[in-house]
Amino acid sequence: MSEESKVESVEFIEDKHVQYVIDQDSHRSFEYWLSEHLRLNGLYWGVTTLITMNKLDVLPENEVIEFVISCWDEKSGGFGAFPNHDGHLLSTHSALQILKIYDNDLKILDTKRSKIISFVKNLQLEDGSFQGDRFGEVDTRFIYNAVSCFALLGELTPDITEPATKYILKCQNFDGGFGLVPGAESHAAQVFTCLAALAVVDSLHIVQEDTRLIDWLSERQVLPSGGFNGRPEKLPDVCYSWWVLSSLAMLGKQHYVDLKKLENFILTCQDFQEGGISDRPDNQTDIYHTCFGITGLSLIDYKKYNFKEIDPIYCMPVEVTMKFKKWKYNDIPV
Amino acid sequence: MQHGVQRVNLSQEAKRLKLERDAIKTANYRQLTAKLFKLRDSEVYTIETFNETTQILLLNPEFYTMWNYRRDILIHLRPTIGDNDYVTYLNKDLKLVLDVLKRYPKCYWIWNHRRWCLFELEELGKVNWEYEFGVVSKLLEMDERNYHGWQYRRVVVKNIEDFSIKNSENSKDSEALILLNINVKEFEYTTSKIKKNISNFSAFHNRSKLIPKLFQYFKQVSVVPDNLKELHEKVFANAHLLLVHELELIKTGMYMDVDDSSVWLYLRWLLSDSFFVEDLTKEVYISILKEQLSIVEELNQLEKEDHKDHWDHCWCLKTIVFIKVLLAQATDSDILSEEIKSHLNTLTVIDPLRKAKYIEQISGRAKIV
Repeated sequence: MSEESKVESVEFIEDKHVQYVIDQDSHRSFEYWLSEHLRLNGLYWGVTTLITMNKLDVLPENEVIEFVISCWDEKSGGFGAFPNHDGHLLSTHSALQILKIYDNDLKILDTKRSKIISFVKNLQLEDGSFQGDRFGEVDTRFIYNAVSCFALLGELTPDITEPATKYILKCQNFDGGFGLVPGAESHAAQVFTCLAALAVVDSLHIVQEDTRLIDWLSERQVLPSGGFNGRPEKLPDVCYSWWVLSSLAMLGKQHYVDLKKLENFILTCQDFQEGGISDRPDNQTDIYHTCFGITGLSLIDYKKYNFKEIDPIYCMPVEVTMKFKKWKYNDIPV
Repeated sequence: MQHGVQRVNLSQEAKRLKLERDAIKTANYRQLTAKLFKLRDSEVYTIETFNETTQILLLNPEFYTMWNYRRDILIHLRPTIGDNDYVTYLNKDLKLVLDVLKRYPKCYWIWNHRRWCLFELEELGKVNWEYEFGVVSKLLEMDERNYHGWQYRRVVVKNIEDFSIKNSENSKDSEALILLNINVKEFEYTTSKIKKNISNFSAFHNRSKLIPKLFQYFKQVSVVPDNLKELHEKVFANAHLLLVHELELIKTGMYMDVDDSSVWLYLRWLLSDSFFVEDLTKEVYISILKEQLSIVEELNQLEKEDHKDHWDHCWCLKTIVFIKVLLAQATDSDILSEEIKSHLNTLTVIDPLRKAKYIEQISGRAKIV
């Protein structure tokens, strides 16, 4: 009678996805150059896709690290998205995530380390929010980028975490979700950044039992596809498999949705010919949707796919994040 | 990031041909990029380089480093060209940004540049927020759920408020009156958007932010102006009236599109938020809950008759459970009554995606409201 979990199994084409990630850098089309401004984020998405599938060794480690370091912008102290591009919080976060996978102590940063810390610190505004760079765009995404950067560097302090927490809570809406800034509509990606930022600064308990929030997140799964949308009455999209499911996972409510149906939706968005995953079935693939499709599959059932388990807070493998010094530092037994 | 673009698998040959075809474009783009980086690194800030950033940004409006360079050029040019020309440049950039936004309405970097231009103009007292208001209204006509568009609208309104207050006599009363007039218009805007399309959750969201504000402003003005007297008396005089008014607004919506979640989410807010509930006596609150319950039950009945297996309607039943729990809370009775458990049981069948949640609620392991 019910439509529950009646899904045929769709093949997961791992080898093609591995090749898809490798090919990202080799096909230097016009579009490749037009997307330079996303390259470091793209590399993070590619590295995360591969490491989740236990295939990181297909990328030459030295070249990856060298490229990341070549994106450092001495002038600002942050990382840009590509060599010569200006430092920005988005790319700085991606850079640190990639480097941390290869080297938990981030020794490679050397003298850059203190400059990166001041770059991020100086972007915090009086109200606790963060701007993405010196030109003043404010967004809850940047709070997440910033606190995660500090977490990766082991540099969180109460003067960062407390105002940031206060600001995030001001972004919660009547439906339980969170928006871009106070007053902005709830959006699943912003919900992820707010919850993950709260989790990084050990404040997730504030919203842990919020039924409005839990309801809003679980209502993102829609029929007939079983995929998640990002806002009410919008179309499903693979990337929300990550933004929504990781949010539910942080709240311990991952089982509140039909994981089989979601899994099936992600699998049907694969490009069976060339690898990669798209937002919806039969659409153009990209590395962003490929990453969040595969990390989504890891959250659903990493054992089944022989994947690494993903940490929903950091979107990095648990075997990497378990080595992080977690806030509050002084609570950790020596 | 590709959103909503249909997949095309090119053959190796087609890819090679495309690469060949694009070779000149690619070379030009990369050459211009390299040139501009060099100029930037040599701290060249001239009108000529400014125009070259236009070229590259038209090719790639997401090239944030070039927007940054463009802003730095303008900042450095300002002392030489003088404020008048600076304003002209900023206004020209607003026009450029608008053209680009039409093609890329969801690009953060472009919105960011618009915001920056406006704040530069604001500092010089040369910004036309009313014009911006027109821009954003048009944009929301093209895409009524555009996330950036709605956010931008709130920013513009906030600036119109600040501007109007700055240019008025400095009394508390006049300030509240200005805010009242501006926000009433915004409130009416959400009404018209909702009446046009009941699924416009963005409009409901904005309304949820405007209502508490307006309520406050009506309280703050000593005399309600004639043009707002009716709205005050019929809607904003107290929380009860307001609640009844809002419930009436969405009642039609429920009947129009019972599957639409916007209305149901909004109803939950109306019936449970302390902003409304605190101002009601227990008796009034209970009677409102009961009335809403009967409306939703009636609608559910109609839906049941239409369903091939006579199932309850999913959103109706979810809402029935929600209201019954509120009623149980208001009357200090048992939340997990047999009746509610039975509804939750039905929901495990008609809303199977969220089955595990309902099972935990039935066993008392998870809260319902």
